[in-house]
Amino acid sequence: MHKPIIFMLRAGVMLMLFVCFPGALMAESEPLPQLVLPVPADEHHRTYLGLQESGDGATFEVVEIDADILLIELFSMYCPYCQAEAPLVNELYELMQALSGSEPKVKIIGIGASNSDFEVDHFGKTYDVEFPLFSDQDMAIYNALAGAGTPGFVGARRDAAGGFSIVLRQSGGFYSAADFLKELIAAGAN
Amino acid sequence: MKVMIYKAGLAACFCCILALGWATPGLTAQKHYSSLVYDTGRLQPVDSELQVQVGDIAPDFELPAISGKAVRLSTFRGHKNVVISFVPAAWTPVCSDQWPGYGISRPLFDQYNATLLGISVDNVPTLHAWVQQMGNIWFEVLSDFWPHGEVASRYGVLRGDGTAERALIFIDHQGRISGLIVSDINVRPPLESIVKELEKLN
Repeated sequence: MHKPIIFMLRAGVMLMLFVCFPGALMAESEPLPQLVLPVPADEHHRTYLGLQESGDGATFEVVEIDADILLIELFSMYCPYCQAEAPLVNELYELMQALSGSEPKVKIIGIGASNSDFEVDHFGKTYDVEFPLFSDQDMAIYNALAGAGTPGFVGARRDAAGGFSIVLRQSGGFYSAADFLKELIAAGAN
Repeated sequence: MKVMIYKAGLAACFCCILALGWATPGLTAQKHYSSLVYDTGRLQPVDSELQVQVGDIAPDFELPAISGKAVRLSTFRGHKNVVISFVPAAWTPVCSDQWPGYGISRPLFDQYNATLLGISVDNVPTLHAWVQQMGNIWFEVLSDFWPHGEVASRYGVLRGDGTAERALIFIDHQGRISGLIVSDINVRPPLESIVKELEKLN
C-alpha cells in the first residue's frame, strides 16, 4: 500500500539530488576511464608509481599505479592559475608523502592538457614539481576525464574490483592543501 | 622565405578557463577562478600576407609600452637579440594563455641573449588591465593601437578585421630577421618552436 508512496519519495529525492548536485549520483560508481601513459624515464617517478617497467617507450595503465587514492591534476604550462597553484599542489604532494602507514596510500600525477613534452618538462622544472607529470598534447586524457578547465582535479579510490572509481571532481584550485587532502581522503573513504 | 604555420586541432586551442560548477558536492576547499576572456569562436587561420622575410633588416618602430616607456626596436641593435610576439587582441582565447607561458620562460630567452617584445593592436589602458590580470609578465608589452596596427601592417601581420596574426618574429642582434612563425590564429605555437628559433640566433 505504502510502496508506491515510498518509491515516489525516493524518486523525488533522487531527482532533487540530480538537479541540485549533478555530480552526486555519478560520483558513487563512475569508474575512472582506462588511461594509458608512458612509463616515466625518471626512476624516482617509476618507484613512486610502483612501476617495474623501464622508461624506454613502454606504457602503463593508470590502474597499475600503487595507490589507494589517486589524484589527477589537470593543468597547463600556459595557464596562469595553474602557475599560481603550483606551490600549493607541491605542498599537497608533500602532505601525501607524509601520511602514515595506517592511512590510505594517496598519490598524485599531473596531466598537461594541450602541452607538449617540452612544455610539461618546463613547467615541472620551473616549479620543482616532484611528482610525475605527463603531456596530453591532443587532450585525449583531458577529454576522457571530462575536464572542465585548468587547474582541475579528479580523485579516484581503489574499488573492490581492483580498478579506480571517481570520488571527487574539482575545477579550480584550493586554498589549503591540508583541507583539500582531508576532503580527498574523506571522499575516498565513503 | 621561411614561414612556419602551425596547424593543430582543437587541442592547441585549449585555454585555461574556469570553473563553474564542476565539483563534487560538499567540497569546501575549492577555489574558483572566473574568466574574463571573450570567446571569439574559431577564426580564419591566417588573414594577411607577410611583408618581411628571413634575411631582411627588421622594419624599425617605436611604440608606447604599458610600462610608460616608448620602446624603439633599433635600440637593441648591436647588443641584444629580439623576439617580437604579435598577438591578435587582448582578452581573447589562446592569447590569454600564451604570454603567461612566456612569463615563466624568461630563462630560455636569457640563455640566448634575447629579449621579448609583446605587441597587440589594443590601446595602452586595455593592455595594462589585461596584463595585470594575467600577471607575471616580465617583458615589455607594446601598443600598436594608433595609427591602428601600423607596425603589424608593415610586417604584414595585420588581419582584415584590424587584429594581428599570432606571429613571432626573431631578430638577431644586427637587426636582421632570422626566423618567422605565423601560427594559425586559433592555436598556440609550441614553446619548443621558439627555442629552436632562438638557437639559430647564437
